[in-house]
Amino acid sequence: MTFVINLGLALLGGPLLAGVVRKMVKARVHSRQGPPIIQPFYDLFKLLGKEDLESSPSLVLRYAPMVALAAILAAALLTPMGLRPPLGGYGDMIVFAYFITIAAVMIILAGLVSASPYSMMGAGREIMLHLAVEPVLIICLVIAAIKSGSLLMWDMAAWNYVHGLSINTPSMIIGGVALLLALQAQLGKIPFDIVEAETEIMGGPLIELSGPKLALFEWAFFARQIVYASVLAAIFIPWGTGFALPWNIAAHLLKITVIIVLVGLIDVVNPRLRVDQAMAYFFGVIVVALVGMVLALLGT
Amino acid sequence: MTGITLLTSALILLVVGAILTALLSKSRLACGLVAFVTVLIASIWVTMTAWHALTVAPVKGTVLLTIASLNSSLVFTVDGLSAIFLLVTSLVAVCTTLYSIRYMRIYQRYSLVRYYPLLLLFFASVISVVSVHNMLFFLVFWEFMTLTSYVLVVFETDNAAAQRAGLRYFIATHIATVCMLLATVVLYARVGSFDFAALQTAMGGLMATSPALVHLLLGLFVIGFATKAGILPFGFWLPDAYPAAPTGASAAFAGTMTKLGVYGIVRVFTMFLPMSHSVTVWGIIIAVIGTISLFVAALTALQQSDSRRLISFNIISSVGYMWLAVGTGLALLRISPPLATVALLAGLFHIVNGACYGSLLFLTAGASRYRTGTCDLEKAGGLMHVMPVTAAAAIVASLSIAGVPPFSGFSSKWLIFQSSIVGGFEIPLLVFLAIVAIFISAVVLACFLRFLGTLFLGKLRVSPEVERREVPVTMVVPQVVIGIFCILFGVLPVVAMEPLHRAVSGMLPEGYSPTFASLFGSSPLTINLNISGASSGAWGAIGVLIAFAGCLVLAYLISRMGGAQTRKVPMWLCGEEHPFAEVRYPVHSFLLPFNRLFANIYPSIPMPRLPRPSAILRALNIDNWLYYPGLRLGERIIQAIRVTHAGVPQLYMLWVIVGAALAVIVLFAM
Repeated sequence: MTFVINLGLALLGGPLLAGVVRKMVKARVHSRQGPPIIQPFYDLFKLLGKEDLESSPSLVLRYAPMVALAAILAAALLTPMGLRPPLGGYGDMIVFAYFITIAAVMIILAGLVSASPYSMMGAGREIMLHLAVEPVLIICLVIAAIKSGSLLMWDMAAWNYVHGLSINTPSMIIGGVALLLALQAQLGKIPFDIVEAETEIMGGPLIELSGPKLALFEWAFFARQIVYASVLAAIFIPWGTGFALPWNIAAHLLKITVIIVLVGLIDVVNPRLRVDQAMAYFFGVIVVALVGMVLALLGT
Repeated sequence: MTGITLLTSALILLVVGAILTALLSKSRLACGLVAFVTVLIASIWVTMTAWHALTVAPVKGTVLLTIASLNSSLVFTVDGLSAIFLLVTSLVAVCTTLYSIRYMRIYQRYSLVRYYPLLLLFFASVISVVSVHNMLFFLVFWEFMTLTSYVLVVFETDNAAAQRAGLRYFIATHIATVCMLLATVVLYARVGSFDFAALQTAMGGLMATSPALVHLLLGLFVIGFATKAGILPFGFWLPDAYPAAPTGASAAFAGTMTKLGVYGIVRVFTMFLPMSHSVTVWGIIIAVIGTISLFVAALTALQQSDSRRLISFNIISSVGYMWLAVGTGLALLRISPPLATVALLAGLFHIVNGACYGSLLFLTAGASRYRTGTCDLEKAGGLMHVMPVTAAAAIVASLSIAGVPPFSGFSSKWLIFQSSIVGGFEIPLLVFLAIVAIFISAVVLACFLRFLGTLFLGKLRVSPEVERREVPVTMVVPQVVIGIFCILFGVLPVVAMEPLHRAVSGMLPEGYSPTFASLFGSSPLTINLNISGASSGAWGAIGVLIAFAGCLVLAYLISRMGGAQTRKVPMWLCGEEHPFAEVRYPVHSFLLPFNRLFANIYPSIPMPRLPRPSAILRALNIDNWLYYPGLRLGERIIQAIRVTHAGVPQLYMLWVIVGAALAVIVLFAM
């Protein structure tokens, strides 16, 4: 059953929450009506039926979108979403981090294979941004691993449920804040939507993609929001402890909704940064996270 | 024949093969075939010996040679640790020799007498190095290995850059050998024996009386092995020397010689030292050196545009991971037996995997050079469309070295990360090293995406005269074979970890290491790491793969939901017409902002331009003062004898009569 919950949350919750953010946050800030909440689904289904235009006949390009979506879904199966993750016995945080990386790699490969100058530029940016942001996720998870004494993500979440957020464990607070600061880039939102940058390099790695391929990538991005928000919610944000079955999932849903709304709010009121500015910013975040790790190693 | 006899015969066979190939060097094909058959048979024998040593019991041979004055005797001994290296060497040797048969065609101008005989002798010395337990013979074979590999590095006699790289290699490795020799002689002076067991006694005795000297000696050993392993800054020679050799030899170096630097460290620190505080300290030092090296090398690799140089830097970084793992293991040796076992196992596992993907990467780079004639990433690309198997092998090797699941690099890196993060609960520094290592893993991935993206994926771009098809089958087979191992060890890591665990427990004190099942769980498909009573990490390649395949099917179904049609279109360049060359995004600007950040990470040491001592160069050029004069002398003698064989029957009759008369005279005279 947890398989269904995690997959369903990633596949359906992602576009739905994105719709909520568009209607409730973006449109509100822009003072306009906004599209219906299920507009992302309309978009996806429309794309799935559209013609698939191939500019370079390559197997890599054909399968990259599927692998990207599958990798995100596999990461979702490893993520605690209120319950013990279904694949928890087969993989830990390192496996999780690698699945996230595979999804990023597929975006990069799609860009490289398309061979358009815009897509190459976007692929290069994705590599650089991923290299700058990935360490934050790793360091934050290592902080949780040090506290819980295990690299299994469910053990980390369980530790969080038991101990919660407390002034006695500043390392976890710092870890949570650092992860929140990195979330914006991990989700590809402004000010860090440098990779796609529609107004500048016209979608970057995705420029040559259309129809179902584009739909799969878009869907993977929606699912990615849920996965990242779940990591932050389950491992670093307390509350929702010890509830009975439907309520722990409800608490988790509430937490990730708040996180994604916050991300959407930042997205709508900021301009885009350049890639070198973004890297400089993330080196700052890495330093903060490292401070948190030192504290964790000191036992606080 | 059993055990050690097989190993000895394999060595003799290799030497005989070397002589045969030297004699046959005029016929290029025969020479290659003889070399391959020799190596194949020798490798099978070595594999049988090693497998026996690993699964049944260590094998020890009889005394082959005794040097009484130095109290040393040559005895081949194969224990678990040696067996691992023997198995790896056999695989790499067979594959690289088979590969060389066709590959050496691009060196038509050069004589093969400088290639196959030396390659075979090189393999023989590598096999000998790991199967002796006597420091004197260890150093002798070590030196032999260095010399043969040196000649292979300077194979292109008229290439000044290769000669310079060779000279650097020669000097660097000999300084290293002197360091090790010095340390050995000091220990010999204490006990009067070169045996590993005796040296351990000497170390133990010295530790009590003068610990400073022990640390100095260990430092000398570490420098010696670091130089061979290519650990920066001692390995500065490696990125120049490896690409200079013919690619078959580069692949052999990457698969065998580099890893011996790690072998030496494991031997010296587990066999020579009693388990004490100083092992912990040295373990941390080794781990830190390894981490610095992997960090610098990987970031430097990002800036390379020659594929073989790029691979060389990544070999250095991959050896850095091995040092990190071995160092972690040594540091935890006294503190936590389960963790130390896991870390040492991870190090050995990474050596096995590193040998596979390291040599495979060189083979794919060589294959692309065989067809396109260049190693420059700027000058060729999109080879996937003409060389699909090579491209697939390159993808497998690249994903392995980058540690993407479920390829082999991931399983060993996973163990390394596990042991250093969990080890960090005991020694906090290790966590930082683990984080650097995880970060660098992503850098390596970026680096190889660039390698794959420019050389194999994308639009085909080669110069028009290039033959557009896959490389010959003898070059494809080795790539496929090694590629299969890269996938096997990734999907079923337990297959390799079980023998490796046996090797690790064999080199640690009796009853020290926990059993395999208690450390990694009893499932053959899932590793459930269990350090302190509770599971602290899990990796079930098969389970995750099945789930991933399920997700993939789901993704496929979603993509087919709308029943979209496919149509071929040209690339969209905002409505303008451009030839591809005009809009190509150049390699060097690919990661420009990131590279600028780390531009000066690899300090280029200004080599003092010595007035090159021509006498030394002449002395090093064995061809000129030994081989060719010898050849000419032989020719002259043969010419002299030839006169007697004129082919006239009367003349032969005359010889018979003269001979008979002489015989009669001699008989009567006696």
